Amino acid sequence: MLALVGHAFGASGGIAQYNRDFLGGLVASGLVSDIEILPRHGPRTVETPPKIVQHGPRFAPALYAAGAIAKALTASFDLVFCGHLYMAPLAAIVARLGRAKLVIQTHGIEAWPQPTRLQRAAVERADLVLSVSRYTRAKVLSWASMAPEKVAVLPDTVGEAFTPGDGSALRAKWGLTGKRVLLTVGRMDGRERYKGHDRTIRALPALIQRWPGVTYVVLGEGDDLARLQALAKDEGVDDHVKFMGPVDEATLIDAYRMADVFVMPSTGEGFGIAYLEAMACGTPAIGLDAAGARDAFADGRLSLLATESGLLDRLRELLNEPKPDPEALASAVRQSFGKPVFVAEQKRLFDRLHGCASTGRR
Amino acid sequence: MCGVNGIYAYRTAASAPSQAELIATRDAMAARGPDGVGEWWSAERRCAFGHRRLAIQDPHPRANQPMVSDDGRYVITFNGQIYNHPALKAELEARGVRYRTTCDTETLLHLYALKGPDMVRDLRGMFAFAIWDAARQGMFLARDAYGIKPIYTCDDGWTFRFASQVKALLAGGAVSRDPEPAGIVGFHLFGSVPEPFSLYRDIRALPAGHSQWVDAAGPEQPKRYVSLASILAEGAARPSPAAELEARVKAAAGESVAAHLLSDVEVGVFLSAGVDSGALLGLMRDAGASDIRAITLAFEEYRGTPEDEAPLAAEAAARYGARHEVHRVGQAEFNADLPAILEAMDQPSIDGVNTWFVAKAARQAGLKVALSGLGGDELLAGYPSFSDLPTWRRRYGLLARTPGLGRLARLTLQGVAPGLLRERPKAAGMLEYAGSWGGAYLLRRGLFLPHELARLMDPDAAREGLRRLGLMRRLAAALAPDPGSDVGRVCALESSFYMKSQLLRDADWAGLAHSVEIRPPLVDIALLRNLAPVLPGLRPGAGKRALGAAPKVALPEAITARAKTGFTVPTGAWMATAGRSNVAGEPVRKGAASRGWSQLVFSGLRPPQQSLAA
Repeated sequence: MLALVGHAFGASGGIAQYNRDFLGGLVASGLVSDIEILPRHGPRTVETPPKIVQHGPRFAPALYAAGAIAKALTASFDLVFCGHLYMAPLAAIVARLGRAKLVIQTHGIEAWPQPTRLQRAAVERADLVLSVSRYTRAKVLSWASMAPEKVAVLPDTVGEAFTPGDGSALRAKWGLTGKRVLLTVGRMDGRERYKGHDRTIRALPALIQRWPGVTYVVLGEGDDLARLQALAKDEGVDDHVKFMGPVDEATLIDAYRMADVFVMPSTGEGFGIAYLEAMACGTPAIGLDAAGARDAFADGRLSLLATESGLLDRLRELLNEPKPDPEALASAVRQSFGKPVFVAEQKRLFDRLHGCASTGRR
Repeated sequence: MCGVNGIYAYRTAASAPSQAELIATRDAMAARGPDGVGEWWSAERRCAFGHRRLAIQDPHPRANQPMVSDDGRYVITFNGQIYNHPALKAELEARGVRYRTTCDTETLLHLYALKGPDMVRDLRGMFAFAIWDAARQGMFLARDAYGIKPIYTCDDGWTFRFASQVKALLAGGAVSRDPEPAGIVGFHLFGSVPEPFSLYRDIRALPAGHSQWVDAAGPEQPKRYVSLASILAEGAARPSPAAELEARVKAAAGESVAAHLLSDVEVGVFLSAGVDSGALLGLMRDAGASDIRAITLAFEEYRGTPEDEAPLAAEAAARYGARHEVHRVGQAEFNADLPAILEAMDQPSIDGVNTWFVAKAARQAGLKVALSGLGGDELLAGYPSFSDLPTWRRRYGLLARTPGLGRLARLTLQGVAPGLLRERPKAAGMLEYAGSWGGAYLLRRGLFLPHELARLMDPDAAREGLRRLGLMRRLAAALAPDPGSDVGRVCALESSFYMKSQLLRDADWAGLAHSVEIRPPLVDIALLRNLAPVLPGLRPGAGKRALGAAPKVALPEAITARAKTGFTVPTGAWMATAGRSNVAGEPVRKGAASRGWSQLVFSGLRPPQQSLAA
């Protein structure tokens, strides 16, 4: 299989994580014998699982396309995986040149509005389109004219390392001992601004009245940081907000564990892997009943979804109660979104894709 | 006849089906099945079926549904009738199968256990069903060749749902109402929503003649197992002499009517003053039915005029010794029923009102099952389209196949004679559409042509809807493989569009709103196979003449003579009045009478407008 992706191994972010889970799962379950990854971003050299080769990144689009087409003409493969909609036209050409089946992955906001004609045409001729959530799938089907059976949902999965545990050391290190802690993990993107940092910051004054020590920890980076810092100041809560920047995975897991509530009142999640990670670490999560978050919360089975106006009430509710049994929450998350579930569902989808070879492209 | 529904949470992360939703969807179809009600849950509670029963074969509660096989492996929820059930039952019993009912439902269970999905090829009848296979942990759905019985599916990527009606799926509360522009455009073009689309993006019909498998990997694409076009093509490949026409029609129509009498309750007939229903009545008598009740719909407005069908229908009834019941309907009753009609109408339709009233009359007479002459014009070349389409193709086809010429002509007309273009858009469309059979059919049946849509709806939505509808591709698909003759081509087009998406769908909702099963013996796969060899040589009028001559005692001459002029019904005028006024500034022309009505039904049934823009 040839995989055209933005980034995969050696990169951070939800999409890179998904690509690693997805490609790793394919090889581990023997659905494909080996994978060559052509990334646009990422380190020059990187460690990958056996049977997966990741080439050095080629950022320049023309250079990247040339590389992919050269591969199509020289290498032999029967599947092309396209990790991002913007590469779909190129992936369609590569698949055609290589007489391979085309699988296109769709995540979130990139796939919601009507894409370019070329992107749409590529999606419409794909053999399988994967979406991380029902919402994204519905959006794809609203602009793509194709058999709905060719568009399947394969949800995000949560890594094995995300488990409940003792986060008190990190609490102490960050000076949060004895305080109520809210946590958000996500990019602070100045153009998109959908993650809902603003909403949480604006809810703080009311929470401080009840819990004077309450602290909002924000992990991640992005060009919207300065604006959010200013907002916290304007709201008079800058003492209660800690922007801790990007952290390594071990710290991230401890942060999830030590937080009382994970809150991300986002309106634009394709799925929202961070919700799963938090809940897998035993921390209750708050999300809005919007877009892909519904899937991450399993329609409210894992945790209730909030409305935008009900956010404050929901925060109060969760801060009021002692933290629920972390193991129970973590196990419920794994039951729906654990790695074995992901691998089993991926296998079903690819078995079907291989099974209907005669009804393939065109 | 019945109402079926089901919910299958096939993805691990999906919530188990909600019982409240299952029941809400099922009971939204209460009128489809007042005699029995049931629900079934798989052992893991990941799949659930619902059923409302109109008990016709083996009315005993032992045949209620969902029905589980003796070994517990298979479960079925089924809507329809299998007319070759006696033969299949005998065959299965000869193989050692033991029956516990005398119902065709059980035949489907045994046949599936024996043959798997291939069993659909053995079925003659009207049907839509789902079978859960506990061993394979999956669900098999199938629908009859003509699409007489409906089944709609909805997949959100985690959970698969199905039901006999669109509105029932919506009543469950879990299905998106986001609009499907292709369905909306299709309704404006044809006056009914063309399959597989509905007005809603997430709800689609399982196409006629298709089956579908759904398991933990989700739904597979529907697979075609039979096609009208190939039956017609096979017939054209071994044509019979025209001289055989009468004998063939007599034998085949008689055999079909006899098969359609299979029932444990009384079977009546809808009798108009036309040839089709009169011949059915005669053939019912030939098949041994006695004391037949015939229901005729007549109109107050026409009492005592030559347009009144009641006297001629009475003549036919008398000739065949039927008990004749005439139901006269007037505008007052129409107005009183209008809210209920709109409520029962599953998807918007510019027709169906006549069926509503005749089914209502049948119910009042205590009938549960009635034969209908529906389909005679499609099968035996009774429509003007059978002569128009070949003529247009001959006259304008060559010019229309010249690339760009038709469009150029239209744009030129727009400049020099815009009035002509507005008043006679179809004449102007000849050069654009008569180049293909599908295009010519659109000229014949379309209320509007695609380029007129921008006046009816948001131009962007119209463009997107046309793209998704892929009309010319769909029209062409009804003719693959080529039916091999002009009659065959028009028969395939009329059967796949007007009859399937309009007449049969109307017969389903309007009949079952009164808990009356309408059986169309002239819409039958075995009959089509029998007649396909004589269709290519069919001369205008000969098919209907043969049908009129099919009963042992021929139809009254007054009816066969009158058939040439036909009847009008006042319902079009009522509908136009009910639809308030026409669109401002729109010239009145053919189809425009139904314009007000289509606005009315559409405004009642369309999805919320704001999500169209989203």
